[in-house]
Amino acid sequence: MNNDTLAIDLQRITKTYKSGSLEVPALQGVDLRIQRGEYVAIMGPSGSGKSTMMNILGCLDRPTSGTYRLDGEDVSHLDDNALAAIRLRKLGFVFQGFNLLPRTDALKNVALPLFYAGVSTRERNARATETLREVGLADRAHHKPSELSGGQQQRVAIARALVNDPAVLLADEPTGNLDTKTSADIMALIDQLHAGGRTIIMVTHDENIARNARRIVRLLDGKIVSDDALGYEKVGDANLL
Amino acid sequence: MYFEEAIRVLLGNKARTFLTIIGLIIGVFSVISIEVLGHSMAGSIDESLGALADNSFIIFPGSFQGNFARAAMRLSDLDAIVAEIPNVTAAVPLGGMRVLMRHGHNIGNLTLFSDSSDPFAKQPLAFGRNLSPDDISGTADVGVINWKTYQRLFPQGGDPTGESLYAGPHRYVIIGVLAEPRRGALNATFGGDVSIPYTTYLRQYVRGDRIFAARFTVRSADDMSATEVAVIKKIRDLRKVGSDVRYQTFDKAQFTQGVNGIFSAVTVVVGLIGAVSLVVAGIGVMNIMLVSIAERTREIGTRKAIGARRGQILWQFLIEAALMSSLGCFIGMALGLLVGGVINDVFIVKLTGYTAPLPFVQAFLITTVFAAVVTFAFGLYPAFRAAALDPIEALRYE
Repeated sequence: MNNDTLAIDLQRITKTYKSGSLEVPALQGVDLRIQRGEYVAIMGPSGSGKSTMMNILGCLDRPTSGTYRLDGEDVSHLDDNALAAIRLRKLGFVFQGFNLLPRTDALKNVALPLFYAGVSTRERNARATETLREVGLADRAHHKPSELSGGQQQRVAIARALVNDPAVLLADEPTGNLDTKTSADIMALIDQLHAGGRTIIMVTHDENIARNARRIVRLLDGKIVSDDALGYEKVGDANLL
Repeated sequence: MYFEEAIRVLLGNKARTFLTIIGLIIGVFSVISIEVLGHSMAGSIDESLGALADNSFIIFPGSFQGNFARAAMRLSDLDAIVAEIPNVTAAVPLGGMRVLMRHGHNIGNLTLFSDSSDPFAKQPLAFGRNLSPDDISGTADVGVINWKTYQRLFPQGGDPTGESLYAGPHRYVIIGVLAEPRRGALNATFGGDVSIPYTTYLRQYVRGDRIFAARFTVRSADDMSATEVAVIKKIRDLRKVGSDVRYQTFDKAQFTQGVNGIFSAVTVVVGLIGAVSLVVAGIGVMNIMLVSIAERTREIGTRKAIGARRGQILWQFLIEAALMSSLGCFIGMALGLLVGGVINDVFIVKLTGYTAPLPFVQAFLITTVFAAVVTFAFGLYPAFRAAALDPIEALRYE
């Protein structure tokens, strides 16, 4: 097993929330390795630790114990600003509610991470335009979110997640707010990104959506209860449990 | 980018933005308009008094006293005063008298006044020039006449310089004519109808060394009143008279006191209104910033998830507060300059006969300070709150 090809390496991750004197364990020793280029769905009923898992994978939260290596870098104990820098460089987020800036055109929305990274205006615009073209919205660059359909808004959000060329794309219920037809379009786009070599982690409770991934990790009560490769291709020896 | 976004947010809530900045507009408006009026009052005084007025004063015998003649000074007193009172650098004897004067067939009973080449009052000339140092040292028989005298003696008009003026046995060549004084209740005129070099006046009219009054120039204007007291004491010592002999002084401070007295009360009241409205407006700005941040919690969460650092979020909201404060303050400034200027042109000019140029630089500085104070006093806390939001909580916020 070559550690250099690991996008995600979780070792004995626990997360415990304190609520008064009560300690609520959300994750109880999770081990998970995801190779570069994998397309993984994380599933589980509410209360299974799915959201906590997503927050830790997304560097929005720190584990109580255990080690998390993202793209070869140990991010388990970084402070807030260092985590922000990691999110900026290595992660792309796609949210259920798109979370675009209102009254701001698609191009500026996509360019936002580059602005926070201190990229010049000229280069921001060039890269944002290129990324919009990748998601098939080159002709909508100057439309505001209110002038775009739900599917188009999610494409803009995906472009925003991709514009900084992240190591991992994290999608949290990416089709939760979309109808069946549009959902299929978005899933086709994500599939296409996967085919292009992107590492994709998708959190969903929808079995049909999860089946688009090549591997499904199931959580229950803060533990991984199953980790299955699906169809098409064999997923190394990542299935360690 | 930060500015662009702040403008977009403020324009997106036009009514809210406007209501929030009304207080700032009123506060800055009142302060700036008072600044404009005060500026033109002070300016009109400076305009009518020459630079010399800043560091000189005049002493003359008080008019109502038992033996007026005892209070007269001597020419030799002046040298002693310059020599012995450190703050006094120069003294010029002043005198005046009414004489019958003639030019051609035109005659007037006019005040002859002795002056130096550096007049107390700054009065523009219609023709010719002022007395020069050479006129003083050469005890020249020359004179500068005021506008009233010019009209009396030269009803036909024209440039009278070089013409002669006769007063008894003496003849003076007219070298200059003071321009018509400005109209205005507070616009004092100085000097007499005809000003001649004080050296000439001493030679022709002063018997012995008795002089009427004197003007003293001081090194430091800050000690002016103390110096006035010292000079009067010195005169009494030299004349060997007691404190029953009275002297009066005249300086710029006395002239400006009346004007400033009226104005300082108004300034205090308006300043208070300005300060109160700024605090109230500032609280309004803070309140609306907090509302705006609450409304945009998810947006802030999104920005943080994307990788914005705390400082970048703080900066964004601070700029939004700064833009809102500046907008209100500078609208207030514009209105203050406008209304102050109109009041200047309509009312103040009747009082002083003078309109000062609008104090753009002071107004800009005052406004900038106000905007900065409101931004930092009332914008920093909301911006800190936004920057400190937990991204997970913020993203979950409905």
